[in-house]
Amino acid sequence: MKSLPNYLQTQRKRLSLSQEEVGFLLGLAGMNKGNKVCRDENFARKPSLQDALAYEVIYGRPVRELFAGRYQQAQQNVAARAKVLNFRKVRKPDVRKQQAIIQLADQASINPSN
Amino acid sequence: MIKNNTVRVLAIAPLSRGLGYAVMEGPDKLVACVNKAILRHKNVGALAWVKKFVQFYKPEILVLPDVNAADTRRAARIKTLHRNIVTWAKKQHLKVRLISITQVRVQLLGKTKGTKQAVAETLAEKFPVELGKRLPPKRRPWMSEDPRMDIFDAVGLAAVFWPKVK
Repeated sequence: MKSLPNYLQTQRKRLSLSQEEVGFLLGLAGMNKGNKVCRDENFARKPSLQDALAYEVIYGRPVRELFAGRYQQAQQNVAARAKVLNFRKVRKPDVRKQQAIIQLADQASINPSN
Repeated sequence: MIKNNTVRVLAIAPLSRGLGYAVMEGPDKLVACVNKAILRHKNVGALAWVKKFVQFYKPEILVLPDVNAADTRRAARIKTLHRNIVTWAKKQHLKVRLISITQVRVQLLGKTKGTKQAVAETLAEKFPVELGKRLPPKRRPWMSEDPRMDIFDAVGLAAVFWPKVK
């Protein structure tokens, strides 16, 4: 199963907060603070790193859990790139580096849900 | 019953006022549950909302109440809406699972007879954070059914979909 891009709405409802209140906590300015939160929840806007970290603070859940779909996507992309890197020839072989790259490349097969 | 718990399930309970829906990603993970009131052109409006929900949540399985079961009585309009939803879902290659009200009662209450209030209270106990505050007061003889009951109908369908862990 592919995760939803984010679970912000689920977490907000868990805490019984309104979009306006979350917007205020995020430090958004203007009258329509809730609109940006609404767009985040409906996958219409990718929040900045600052906002993502603020969401983690507000909801008390790690970013990778709040933005599960985006995390899975990033993980898949990194694993694909690590596979390419694994086939590169290196002049000075480094065991630790090689292990790290193999571990990254294997991540896609470890998480079959991706 | 499914063995793999990693699927997203969208349960829809079409009712007289509109529809209730619930999304679950496992027996204990309730992602969303809302009731949607539809005032005019109810069948057209409800089908449009179902399409929106499916597009947004991208579920693997659609769970609907079995309106043709022996223990169920539904208005002709709701039966038509149900047929339309099933036809549309099959066109989208979505798996459809029908669950009767007796199955809901048997799994949640442990018996074939019981009230909607009892089912709702059981679900509120199972999901206290998500549903605790939404539990409507006990319906009295002079009261109409609370609109929030649509949510519990949908969550009941979604909760019963998952195999019971013994």
